[in-house]
Amino acid sequence: MAKSKPTRVDQVVYLLTYPLNWLEERTSSPGHSGLIGGIKYFLFRKVPGDISWGNTLGSAALTAFIVQAVTGVILAMYYKPDPNSAYESIRHITDDLWAGWLVRGMHRWGASVFIILLFLHMGRVFLYGAYKYPRELNWIIGVLILLLGMLEGFFGYLLPWDQTAYWATVVGVNLQATGPFVGPFLGDVLRGGAEIGPDTLARFYSLHMLVIPGALAALIGLHLWLVVRIGVGSPPWSPLESGPEPGPPPAERKGLVTPAPRGAGVRRR
Amino acid sequence: MNRRLEERRAYYARYKRNVKTNGKPFFPWAMFEDTVMSLLVVCVIVALAVIWKFSTPHEDPGSSGWLGKLYDEKADPGTTNFVPRPDWYFYFLFYLLRIFKWPDSVVLGTVGVPTIALLLLIALPFIDVGTERRPLRRPVAMTAAILTIITMGVLTYKGATAKEPLAAENLVLVPQWAQKQGYADNPVAVDGAKIFAQVGCMNCHTYEGAGTSNLGAPDLSSIGKTSNRGVAGFADYVSNPSKFGNNVMPQFQDLGADNLRKLGTFLQSSGNCNPKTSNCPAAGGQ
Repeated sequence: MAKSKPTRVDQVVYLLTYPLNWLEERTSSPGHSGLIGGIKYFLFRKVPGDISWGNTLGSAALTAFIVQAVTGVILAMYYKPDPNSAYESIRHITDDLWAGWLVRGMHRWGASVFIILLFLHMGRVFLYGAYKYPRELNWIIGVLILLLGMLEGFFGYLLPWDQTAYWATVVGVNLQATGPFVGPFLGDVLRGGAEIGPDTLARFYSLHMLVIPGALAALIGLHLWLVVRIGVGSPPWSPLESGPEPGPPPAERKGLVTPAPRGAGVRRR
Repeated sequence: MNRRLEERRAYYARYKRNVKTNGKPFFPWAMFEDTVMSLLVVCVIVALAVIWKFSTPHEDPGSSGWLGKLYDEKADPGTTNFVPRPDWYFYFLFYLLRIFKWPDSVVLGTVGVPTIALLLLIALPFIDVGTERRPLRRPVAMTAAILTIITMGVLTYKGATAKEPLAAENLVLVPQWAQKQGYADNPVAVDGAKIFAQVGCMNCHTYEGAGTSNLGAPDLSSIGKTSNRGVAGFADYVSNPSKFGNNVMPQFQDLGADNLRKLGTFLQSSGNCNPKTSNCPAAGGQ
């Protein structure tokens, strides 16, 4: 075959895709695709043909988390974690800064939306029986995300340093201190002393904006990785993928295992 | 061999094959729905923030709009007359604490029940090991889920609507208590009763049928008789309960020695034991 001269189009395509190819080559190893290959796999992987709006609750919760992260970073630029100025800095954000009320309001209400979406997502996973083999580990990670999400709310509640914040936290920390063995110790660690004061606020701030969000981001990453790796579960009423029919052991019903013809029984778009 | 494991593996292999043959690519099909949903989420969050801000009256930014106040008063550790409220998703815990009694079983409400619930949630995939995923064929799991949702809903509702007495409502009861308990002639005890009614004690303790039993805190109507710590002993206890192994009750040392002495006198006088008249057993801890 004669080698033809590359056309103008070929040259442009080569130039445009050069950075992508460069990145792919620097992130891959023989037999394993790199970053670009991974993104391609993520985008073009097959998902069950009959998944629908019920399956969007997880990414909805992820969106709420991203809203919290972005608004949280902006708030952290103006918030002062010190009992003498925390309350004033919140008022400054709300009353004086351009769209400060919007950023704070989104963070305040986004927290509730995030928790609600986590519960809805969990309910959907339960309804679909999607916590069963081989997705047990992802269920556990999800429970930890819910737990950390609620803790994030607890630690963030003190930061405005108003009466509601202060007294709810006094009670909350005292409650933890009722725990056996480690309880009183845990109470002291959280307060940073015998009383709720400057040390407590700094501690809560650090936990609220560094430790827990970091852990949450890591767990969410792991959660997503497993979703992509194992595959999105189809609805349990999906005629093809609802699990083995009760009856003879798997070895004897090989016939069922062969894929059905395209489109058979599956609602397609 | 383990038939269940074999069955599960066969199911998963079948699922993978089916998705490969009959599935649709994530982009653009599923991604479209995810994107619409994500935009909806952002819109709802922005709408809540806007409603929060613009339903608050302009002329009085400290007052409450449709979604509550923009900000409360600044935190003041000195005034304990404030009813603590957690965020709504902790209301179920908040109410759970009223069910258990202090000190014997309060730990069940604070640590016991939540820990067990969390462990059950984590253990769910190992408890429900069947391969069946259709809801109608999982009656036990579905019943358990519905009962859990109803329980959480009721506890959240109860926690949201639980009422604490206002300081002013308690204050008018003081003369009544003094009359009934027989310390009306002791102004120090009456002053102590007024402090007791105002600084938030009654958000957890009951006294002569008033107040709220929260966190299972004990009734104090006859604490002078049952506990009998003496004026200084009570003052000491209230100023720092954790010194006496009580880590549930907040510290009240901010009230100051004078107020604590009044409070101690009031507590010691409760239960028909007036230190002015000598019908008291020898007070301990003085």
